Amino acid sequence: MQPHLKRALMLLAIAIIGFIAVRSLIVPDSFGQYGWYRGDSVIENRNFPVEHAGSNSCGEENCHKTIYTIWSGSGHKAVNCETCHGPSEKHVNNIRIMPPPADDSKEYCGLCHFKRAARPEKFPQIDPETHGQNLKCAYCHNPHKPWFI
Amino acid sequence: MNVSRREFTRIGCRIIIGAAAGTAVVESIVTNSAAKENPPKGGYDWNEHFWGYLVDTRKCIGCGRCANACKLENEVPFDEPVYRTWVERYRIIKKEREEEVIIDSPNGSIDGFVDDIPDEEIKKAFYVPKICNHCENPPCVQVCPVGATYTTEDGVVLVDYDYCIGCRYCIQGCPYGARYFNTEKGTADKCTWCYHRITKGLLPACVQACPVGARVFGDLNDPESAVNKVLDIERINVLKPDLGTKPKVYYVGLDREVR
Repeated sequence: MQPHLKRALMLLAIAIIGFIAVRSLIVPDSFGQYGWYRGDSVIENRNFPVEHAGSNSCGEENCHKTIYTIWSGSGHKAVNCETCHGPSEKHVNNIRIMPPPADDSKEYCGLCHFKRAARPEKFPQIDPETHGQNLKCAYCHNPHKPWFI
Repeated sequence: MNVSRREFTRIGCRIIIGAAAGTAVVESIVTNSAAKENPPKGGYDWNEHFWGYLVDTRKCIGCGRCANACKLENEVPFDEPVYRTWVERYRIIKKEREEEVIIDSPNGSIDGFVDDIPDEEIKKAFYVPKICNHCENPPCVQVCPVGATYTTEDGVVLVDYDYCIGCRYCIQGCPYGARYFNTEKGTADKCTWCYHRITKGLLPACVQACPVGARVFGDLNDPESAVNKVLDIERINVLKPDLGTKPKVYYVGLDREVR
């Protein structure tokens, strides 16, 4: 073989080996395990902390059994505990960590119940100008067992 | 060796095409069999599920509890105008012969909506919850230059937060505007259907938070799942079907103005 060809082939071989070596160092082990992505990332995405525990965990173990029973038979049973009381998984695991108190302002109830043009007509809505004066809704309505629904 | 130019080109092309096809076949066999036979460990088999999502726009009351719960569940920067899910308000205004459509979503609906147009001027109005469609043919995955976003075997489009370089091409690529740049992580971010919850048998935070059942989540493989029960009886549409992205977020009661 002619020497200049030999030299060119040597250079090519070094370049290829160098590429493979650098690639094996840079590319993570699990890359390409399931597809063109890092396989370990699936587990990482699964392991993010859960924040919302779900209403069932409130009624379990007699913690909030009474209020749970009232709520689960009321018109608000579709409204999850944490929708008003905030994410509580940390509280379920450690009762010393308290979720922030529920917002009982008229405006918070109004997020669902103020009259709005875009709301479904049958959904219970009030006009805050004419209904309830400046009182908090909870002054008359029990949020865990509202009337008229 | 004496090869004509035509012959050289012909042989060259064959070798290149053969090699490419061979690599593709080998790669697809290797990766598919690994995903099927050796799924990620941890008490959950992604081969058993294929998730789907359904939005009933006729039920939505625009309270924004879904967007609020999502931000708290997934550590989305709370005070920045970025959302994994949000609710849009569509108001179609009465005009002679033509219609004017006003679409808004103040703070992603988290603070609720205020009626700032008199009722008499509104022809019709409704809310439309929006979320990542977890397309079967996702443009965002196609454009990622480093393989930092991908579709899992159970049909969820995820982001690899360690591997994303933050180039934001996927944010541009998504026709639904479902992706955003997370300034705290320094990466692109998006709805994962709460992958950390659904793989533990829980519902996504937005579905759990919805007080009127406008959001439904379930396994498309299971004929008795909450999603399939609605898909079986209702008339369904998806957003921008003409793009061929094959969304897996199905809509009931979608207006023609919704894009």
